Amino acid sequence: MASEDILRMLRTAVADGDPERAEQLTREALTKGEPPLDVLDSLVTGVRELGEKFGKGEVFIPDLIMGGQAMKAGSDVLKPALKGQDKERMLGTILIGTVKGDVHSIGKDIVATMLESEGFEIRDLGEDVPDKVFVEKVKELTPDALGLSSLMTMTMPAQRDVIDALGRDKIRSNVRVLIGGAPTTRQWAEEIAADGWAGDAVSAAKEARRILAKN
Amino acid sequence: MLEILSRDDIYRIHMASLEILEQVGVVFKHKEALRIFEDAGASVDHTKELVKMPEHLVKWALGKTPRQVDLLARNPRHDLRLGDGHVHYTNGYGADHVLDFETGQRRESTIKDLENFTRMADYFENVEYVYPSIFPRDVPKAIVDRCIYLALLRNTSKHCANSFLDLDGFRDIVKMATILVGDEEEFARKSAILDTNATTAPPLKYAEHTVACIIENGKYKMPATIHSAALAGASAPVTMAGTLAQMNAENLAALVLYQIVGPGTPIIYGTIASNLDLKTGIPAVGSPECGLINVALVQIAHQYNLPSYGTAGVIDAKIPDEQAAVETLQNVLLTALAGGDFIHDAVYSILETGLTACYEQFVVGYEIVNRVKRIIQGIEVTDETLALDIIKDVGVEGSYLKQRSALRHTRKHLLREHWQPAISDRLPRSIWTGKGSKTMMQNAREKAREILETHNPEPLDRDVQARLDAFIKGIAKKNLEQD
Repeated sequence: MASEDILRMLRTAVADGDPERAEQLTREALTKGEPPLDVLDSLVTGVRELGEKFGKGEVFIPDLIMGGQAMKAGSDVLKPALKGQDKERMLGTILIGTVKGDVHSIGKDIVATMLESEGFEIRDLGEDVPDKVFVEKVKELTPDALGLSSLMTMTMPAQRDVIDALGRDKIRSNVRVLIGGAPTTRQWAEEIAADGWAGDAVSAAKEARRILAKN
Repeated sequence: MLEILSRDDIYRIHMASLEILEQVGVVFKHKEALRIFEDAGASVDHTKELVKMPEHLVKWALGKTPRQVDLLARNPRHDLRLGDGHVHYTNGYGADHVLDFETGQRRESTIKDLENFTRMADYFENVEYVYPSIFPRDVPKAIVDRCIYLALLRNTSKHCANSFLDLDGFRDIVKMATILVGDEEEFARKSAILDTNATTAPPLKYAEHTVACIIENGKYKMPATIHSAALAGASAPVTMAGTLAQMNAENLAALVLYQIVGPGTPIIYGTIASNLDLKTGIPAVGSPECGLINVALVQIAHQYNLPSYGTAGVIDAKIPDEQAAVETLQNVLLTALAGGDFIHDAVYSILETGLTACYEQFVVGYEIVNRVKRIIQGIEVTDETLALDIIKDVGVEGSYLKQRSALRHTRKHLLREHWQPAISDRLPRSIWTGKGSKTMMQNAREKAREILETHNPEPLDRDVQARLDAFIKGIAKKNLEQD
């Protein structure tokens, strides 16, 4: 098999959302001596193609999520081979969670997958996360950005509470804060001094790239 | 009656739900609830907060649940009985934005909007019990649910539905209702002046504050609505059948807890579920699938001999346009044809998946439900309505607009037999043009203005009003001190 063949097949496996095949092809590519960075390129390109189709309404969220899982299956195999080589390629680490009082996870999960498939490393804290936990985890994991999700009007103020808590602990400047969720607006993001706002999962990745580029 | 599930389909869904309850279980994020379930014979994993319940517990709870639900109103003329074979309708719930009536601009909603929408709901005779259409943004969060209840009471004498944000809110609203009816003894008899509800955080989970309110309701046995909030494709299977099985399991789990803590608590069995639009990640609430789920839930509720609760008129459209009208009509009509006992979100006024209220849309919702009511009233066949005598009187080539007995018959039956529009146009073109070629939306706007300028709800008793005002002031002060 010619080398471009296996890389093309890997890209297709990711675009088809086939984690098992993506993992197997990544292994084969490495065995055949493909440069790890080229293998990574195939994985990323596969997801990016899928993301473009998603943006045009040609594929659905489950297709995108399966693509993300396929990329992850491949990159898990690839990681040891990449050691040190991929640093400049990773877009950054994002800590994400739904704020206190809010038990909704779907929107946050979709955003997490979109961000992951765009090349961010995601640490998901889950739902109904107390301010204190956000602050502790920001200290512990030193992420580049913090994503705060709220699906209900009633829990929106908790987004401000987290930002204020970061300020009180004097670590607000260490991390960019991205907020989102159905009832939120850019105006609200500005009011509570968040760095970015995403109204939906599709724009979240773009917004994350934008606020992290400010660094 | 419209049926989309066969008896066999319903049985298979029921059995699947029992299997889910017994093998997968439901998470109740509340320590006391876990102990209560364990004492009642469920298998409980305290670490996972997971309750697995056997079939006999579900059967026992269903056996305790009454077949009919009475809802009491400030004015007893508006008392309602659900489960009597009639379809009842309400308005929408909880918009935190409004299209401003004067400017048309989208803005945050206010307590004034809540008062206006409640006054309109009081005016519309087809809103038989009143939800807070608005979640006001200009009231402190700590007391907003109490302020909402007071605004409802002041602007309608119909039964008011409430939504408690937490256990403290629940307790305060019980105190307010106690002031309304007189004293605690009277409230114990008339707790159906309030109602409560349990919504899932799907899949198969109830949040702590929801469970706390279920347990607290054991003291009062107020009527409780149970409604799974499943989203097919995201928090439930993409298939409608699988979604129904999971929803039914979630509903039954809440019903069991309500009955353990308060045997005989009246339950309204329902849905606020729909499918997730898997292209946008936003719930598709005006979808045909949402209508189908509503119809199926009516059938399942009736199989259990429980009155049903539907959420049928919700809208995805962002403005009050053709899409908005199509979405409300489609799902309200379906659910009414299925014999839904109680259709919430029917006289609907909120755009954008429940986010943005619109005054004009409320009038459109009113018109839609009046059309639906005429349709499900159906065609009555009696000697009088067959009108053979009249047909003989008029004979061949006569006219029902000339013959006197025919005219009398027409005047007698006209309003019952022929629906009369409030804002739909049926004028001849020349007259319609002469009157300014108005669209339905312009007519709706004029009607909304007329209601807001002229309709005065039955006022609250002055003493009750003063005591409620003082109560709200008291808790506002307490909150201020705590801050």
